[in-house]
Amino acid sequence: MSTTIVLKSGHRNGHTHGDGISHRHHKIGHKHGEGSSIDAYSYASKIRHWNPAFKVSLSMLTLVLSIVLNNPYVSLTVIMAMAYLTIIEGGLSIQAYLSILTIPISFILLGTFTIGIDFSTQPIGQYNLHLGFFYVFTSQASLKLMFFLMLKVFAAISAMEMMTLSTPSSEIISVMQRARVPKLIAELMNLIYRYIFILIDVNIKMRNSANSRLGFCDIKTSWYTFGKIASNILIVAFKKADAYYNAMEARCYDGDLLFLEEVKKVEKVQIAKATAFIIILILLWAFTR
Amino acid sequence: MAETILEIRDLYYGYGNGTAALNGVSVDIYEGEKIAVIGSNGAGKSTFFLNMNGVLTPDQGKIGYRGTIVNKKNLKELRKNIGIVFQDADNQIIASTVMAEVGFGPMNLKLPKEEVLKRVEEALTYMNILDYKDRPPHYLSGGEKKRVSIADIIAMKSEIIIFDEPTAGLDPLNAQMLEEVLGKLGSEGKTMLISTHDVDFVYRWAERAIVFCQGRIIADGTPLEIFQNKEILKQANLKQPTMMEVYDLLVEKHLLEDTKAYPVSTQAFKELLGNPYLASRPEKPPEKEKFKVVKI
Repeated sequence: MSTTIVLKSGHRNGHTHGDGISHRHHKIGHKHGEGSSIDAYSYASKIRHWNPAFKVSLSMLTLVLSIVLNNPYVSLTVIMAMAYLTIIEGGLSIQAYLSILTIPISFILLGTFTIGIDFSTQPIGQYNLHLGFFYVFTSQASLKLMFFLMLKVFAAISAMEMMTLSTPSSEIISVMQRARVPKLIAELMNLIYRYIFILIDVNIKMRNSANSRLGFCDIKTSWYTFGKIASNILIVAFKKADAYYNAMEARCYDGDLLFLEEVKKVEKVQIAKATAFIIILILLWAFTR
Repeated sequence: MAETILEIRDLYYGYGNGTAALNGVSVDIYEGEKIAVIGSNGAGKSTFFLNMNGVLTPDQGKIGYRGTIVNKKNLKELRKNIGIVFQDADNQIIASTVMAEVGFGPMNLKLPKEEVLKRVEEALTYMNILDYKDRPPHYLSGGEKKRVSIADIIAMKSEIIIFDEPTAGLDPLNAQMLEEVLGKLGSEGKTMLISTHDVDFVYRWAERAIVFCQGRIIADGTPLEIFQNKEILKQANLKQPTMMEVYDLLVEKHLLEDTKAYPVSTQAFKELLGNPYLASRPEKPPEKEKFKVVKI
């Protein structure tokens, strides 16, 4: 139904978001609008003050290692280490963390399931199950493969989540900018990031006003209203873009988006720990190969 | 006489739909003035501001900044010295942290980073929002966003600050905060232009009022002069400030002597009522009677 497509931002009351977060997730499982709570978590994280370039590169390196090394022990270590960083160091509640990790779980299950099991008309394989016309069969080896693959994917995801749950998007973008990502892309990312929240707000207001006039009373009307709101948002977006450009020009904007950033020092201890962690991963791989 | 900062002569501007948003506007702005720009919706106030700052280029007419005519080359100088606080803070705030946002203007002025940081700290302290430095704007409340948008302009250290309907959408507490900030800026001798629909605010704050009507300036003078002129009020769809209405009412009922000394604040009104020049009773009235006067 059209109404479920819409993101709902739970942070209307702005400055209290720090305390609001912990109450929101009573149970595991994600709600629509998780995107914006990830954003809020990143601002509330206790490791937010860490140097963003350090966090981004640690997460990327870990991600690459857990994929390249392709080793279940490495994957397990990565999962635990990233959970430690996010929950213990970052101060995110376990429920919130698990609920965020459940977002990709359906994709992972769907993806790995086909690797674990196979179909056949003959009763072959180590274990098989007769389902009328065909057999579903599997073996210990392929189940193991499926399980290890899941671990690997989870390791990669938790490495990415460590980054996104501790580093606000603007900082990630500025790291990308320093990593020579084309300026156009980085500037667009900055503007889009800021814009998303404005348009979500506009959308919420329009939806509420449509709702108060019975705009969502049945499915047909809902679809109709949804279309109207979507086209209206496009117009509002154009208008806002115009107003934005005026405001930017009024403050001497002349083609380059320049933002002031706080320099966050990276501590030697952090680099030492990160290096040790990477070495441990590689050693672990070497010994269990 | 204070020095002229801006000289605006015969400004014409049309939005392309045939009607002129500005239809021959001429005005001089002097150092340290507190100007209220009033007029109904669509009278051309915002267009006028955008022209003043150089965001919009007038179809005709010229703008002189400190004696030099503004052209394409020195446009940046004009923008640097004339800052606009836009009506909707969400249309102004561009960066994803408060610090980056307030630093946006100074960064565009290509100032060294230390200077930018210093200015940002100063502006945030000025607006009392230093604690919000690392917050993203989308988790701030309306009043907080307004403060950020004012800090934006304070950090640019512009000579003239323009406020486009600053009190729109603010709660009374935030509106009071805004007025305090305006008072503070005024005491530092900043030149300010404020567009507003709040005639009571114009009456108590402004030294000079400019009335816009259909793209023209139909009156330019002290708020008292303008609010006494019924013709102008009618033309621009304005009403008299409550304080003046009450004063006139008291005069009409012969409860006050008509000295044309309109009080600016409630405090001044109280003093006026307390002094012995009450028309009905030249001698000091007893406490009870005085209370009655106030009640009317």
